[in-house]
Amino acid sequence: MLDLLPEWMRDGIGDDAAFWIGYLTNGKHLAWYASFQFTIFAALLGGTLALVFGLVGAGLKSSRFLPLRAIGDFYSAIVRGVPDVLFFLFFPLAFEQTVEWFVATQVCTPETIAASTSPWPPCREANWFLGTTEYLILASVSLGLVYGAFATNVIHGAMRAVPHGQLEAARAYGFSDAQVFWRFQIRQMWVYALPGLSNVWLLLVKATSLLSLLQIADIVLWADRLGAPNFLPAVGLVHGDWRWRYYLVLLIFYILVTWLSERGFEALMRRAGRGMLNEARG
Amino acid sequence: MKKLIIVGAALAAFAAPATAQETVRIATEGAYAPWNFLNDAGEPAGFEIDLANAICEEAGITCEIVINDWDSIIPNLLAGNYDVIMAGMSITEERLETIDFSDNYFPPDPSRFVAAPGSNLDFANLTGARVGVQGATIQAGWAEENLGANNTIVAFSTADQAMADLAAGNLDTILADGAYLQPVVDASNGAIEFVGEEVLIGDGVGAGIRKGDAELIETWNTALDALKADGTVDGLIAQWFDGMGPFFSE
Repeated sequence: MLDLLPEWMRDGIGDDAAFWIGYLTNGKHLAWYASFQFTIFAALLGGTLALVFGLVGAGLKSSRFLPLRAIGDFYSAIVRGVPDVLFFLFFPLAFEQTVEWFVATQVCTPETIAASTSPWPPCREANWFLGTTEYLILASVSLGLVYGAFATNVIHGAMRAVPHGQLEAARAYGFSDAQVFWRFQIRQMWVYALPGLSNVWLLLVKATSLLSLLQIADIVLWADRLGAPNFLPAVGLVHGDWRWRYYLVLLIFYILVTWLSERGFEALMRRAGRGMLNEARG
Repeated sequence: MKKLIIVGAALAAFAAPATAQETVRIATEGAYAPWNFLNDAGEPAGFEIDLANAICEEAGITCEIVINDWDSIIPNLLAGNYDVIMAGMSITEERLETIDFSDNYFPPDPSRFVAAPGSNLDFANLTGARVGVQGATIQAGWAEENLGANNTIVAFSTADQAMADLAAGNLDTILADGAYLQPVVDASNGAIEFVGEEVLIGDGVGAGIRKGDAELIETWNTALDALKADGTVDGLIAQWFDGMGPFFSE
């Protein structure tokens, strides 16, 4: 990395600084910096899915058709109660095995099953190898499912908080049921939902630190590896227990994300509150 | 049309393992220097990486090293995510119930205790001590069985984390492979020292291979025999373990 700099800049940096720049830009550290993309990707995709699941869940919950309402209630009640770590471990594994089971019913023959050396999947052809990309997507879906259940409740509550008079007035002006729903209830719902959704979003961001549980070399795993004491010159720089330094960087990263999120939600809140006289102004 | 392409790609992805048989995937932990670790460039390196490359060259096969957590390294072998484990894994009766091993490429290595200087642990009747081990290792099993009743056994997911907690004063002692601890103690400038007596567990370190994958075990053993005879294995052991051995050649 250092040799990319022009010579006069290299001379200007002291030996000490040059050493630290070299250390902090070695392949291991670069891999750590690059791993931030996994966390950011999981947060963004997970967040988007959570919003989608939340809207669908809230729609189901306020449905007039009992079975749909039951599905919505079941989803928000059960998934909110299960610890996110458990769901995180359970969902990708169950999904993988289901896919493998389905593929096995299609491609396995008695001969290939007999030739298989492992107890699962039934035959080698049915094995689905999950790499980082697959796990990342499954992790994002898990995050979306778990936090979508919270978003369901938030959005459902917000839809009921829209003043009834507004909807009645809209009907009185001759708007159809669909127009009343989209242009009045959903449009005004955001003002009540956003504070709750910002909570859900921050919880989801925190949960992205669990990615390493799914074999993803994420920021937490690299911080662990880089911070662990090293006594062997053959392995790299000899140093003591530096985990706290690396954890501190993660701490600052998450605080930064929180700060940015707050700004973002403030802007959204202002936008959602346009033309509304009540709570949004507060 | 687009849908057809997607379905085709998905089928190809599922069918891939069958055709990719020529490439043998070797799993290692990457956190157990000098056996296997990630070097400054972030790539796998160490004794077992060099040995794996030598074996694959000897056997004339293409190999790929993959990193997998220690905890799930056997389950993922059984699931077929890779074909061989070379991760400082000792051959034990317990593991032989689920997987097979090649011949050992590192002789039985006594496990040893380390502690901070002046720890004064009474190993004859150790009580109330916090003993660190790496989870799912032979040491973890031994410690649970022999010390578990009167002491707290703390299991870590990597050996590095156990060392970090010993350095931080959260543990009284660590039980681990002697060959792993030796360079650590040597390089620690007296911050960590050997204590107590050696404990003999396991039948040496070998490559873990799925039960019934007889052809692959055969390949591994043939290559290992040749590399032991010509001194390659001993050379690598001496190189990575500070002049230990020779164990396998005359």
